[in-house]
Amino acid sequence: MERKQLDVRGTKCPVPIVRAKKEIDVMRAGDVLEVLATDPGSVSDFQGWAKTSKLATLKEQRTEKDETGRAVYVHVLERKP
Amino acid sequence: MSKTASETPGIEVGELLARADAGDPLLVLDVRNDDEFESWRLEARRPLDTLHVPYFHFLENAEECAGRLPRDREIVVLCAQGGSSAMVVDVLREAGVAARNVAGGMVAYGAFLQPVRIPLDAADGAGWEIWQVNRRGKGCLSYVVRAGREAVVVDASRDVSWYEHFVRGLGASIVRVLDTHVHADHVSGGPPLAARASAPYFVDAGAGFELRHAVRALADGEALKLGGDPSATVAIRVMATPGHTPGSTSYLVGRRHLISGDTLFTTSVGRPDLGGHVREWGTALFHTLRERLGALSPDTVVLPAHYAGHAEIGQDGVVARRLGDLRRAVPELEIADEGAFVDAMQRALTTPPAAYDEIIRANLGLAPVEPDRATEWELGKNQCAAATMPARA
Repeated sequence: MERKQLDVRGTKCPVPIVRAKKEIDVMRAGDVLEVLATDPGSVSDFQGWAKTSKLATLKEQRTEKDETGRAVYVHVLERKP
Repeated sequence: MSKTASETPGIEVGELLARADAGDPLLVLDVRNDDEFESWRLEARRPLDTLHVPYFHFLENAEECAGRLPRDREIVVLCAQGGSSAMVVDVLREAGVAARNVAGGMVAYGAFLQPVRIPLDAADGAGWEIWQVNRRGKGCLSYVVRAGREAVVVDASRDVSWYEHFVRGLGASIVRVLDTHVHADHVSGGPPLAARASAPYFVDAGAGFELRHAVRALADGEALKLGGDPSATVAIRVMATPGHTPGSTSYLVGRRHLISGDTLFTTSVGRPDLGGHVREWGTALFHTLRERLGALSPDTVVLPAHYAGHAEIGQDGVVARRLGDLRRAVPELEIADEGAFVDAMQRALTTPPAAYDEIIRANLGLAPVEPDRATEWELGKNQCAAATMPARA
């Protein structure tokens, strides 16, 4: 099982979801994608998208701070079978 | 994405609101997520037809989403900042559905300013005017008073170049910048506007608050003459009206127009809890409303700093109400007992948005304002009123 990180810090919607979907589409069942985003709207967007997505499950969301003190929203997704 | 989005011209918020206000049968397709849609929506003066489908549904199932849309209506697509809606416009075009993107989304809606001239009559005197600048998305109202070639701006929003351009268009220059109080719901444009115009700025933060902006102090009762030329002058009288904040100030323009800040709105009164001293500030508000505003003529036109809903915009486009009418319509003004008033205030309170503390710090000059952060803080409508009881029409 693969674990991959996708850095979309600095981008605004729809970019975080569009890029995460692109990755998830080509992953294998059980693979994990960790998305790093700075758009606060991404928190609700990933929750909403995971509910409608046929291929992604949202395993975890957490907020971290980067070196400049900026909030980074981490979304951990798993590829469904 | 942006390549194809540019093929269909977007629609600006100003054009969208003007058409929706006039009853144009547009369909607004709002593609934000559920939380954002529930907490803050685009409103016009007539009911808007809105369909809510979050943008990620279009990524998962474009055909089915496009199939839900009518083909015989003009569709405008709205999101938080204009990016996701541009993508949806493209998806729809590929599915054969024409739509236009609302440029800048809800952020642009929240920043849009619409000036409306307040009708004056002959008894008010000639040579001066008041404009109410309506920030429709947030329900914030600021004011430009012009007499002759001089203008005063009250409660300016953050987009200071808008006021500069507007005042130039009136053939005047800004000679003074005032705030009614330290705002909690939006970042004040007062300090930067005053600095750029080399004009004095005034706000009263109240005792116990550290204010780092340079202000030219004004005393309760002081009259500011505006206009220079005796044939085109108006006096703005400073009135200390503590309550919503301890330093809240109202400005009586001419003989009957009261720029009331967050002391009195057209359907309610200002919430006295944002400093955490609801009993103390609520008591001050009670005395301000009864004694200071109580001494004014019922013909006084109350011009507030906020409104709660588009129903408060009158036929003439202005949010204003006669003080005499408010005394009958706003239940809080009828409470004659200080303790009962403060109790009613305390019962009415809801948790203020988390960003209010940061906005207050910025407006005191204690923290720098970063435009991106300020845009985040300012999302959503103002929550500055104490909604104790429904007002009567």
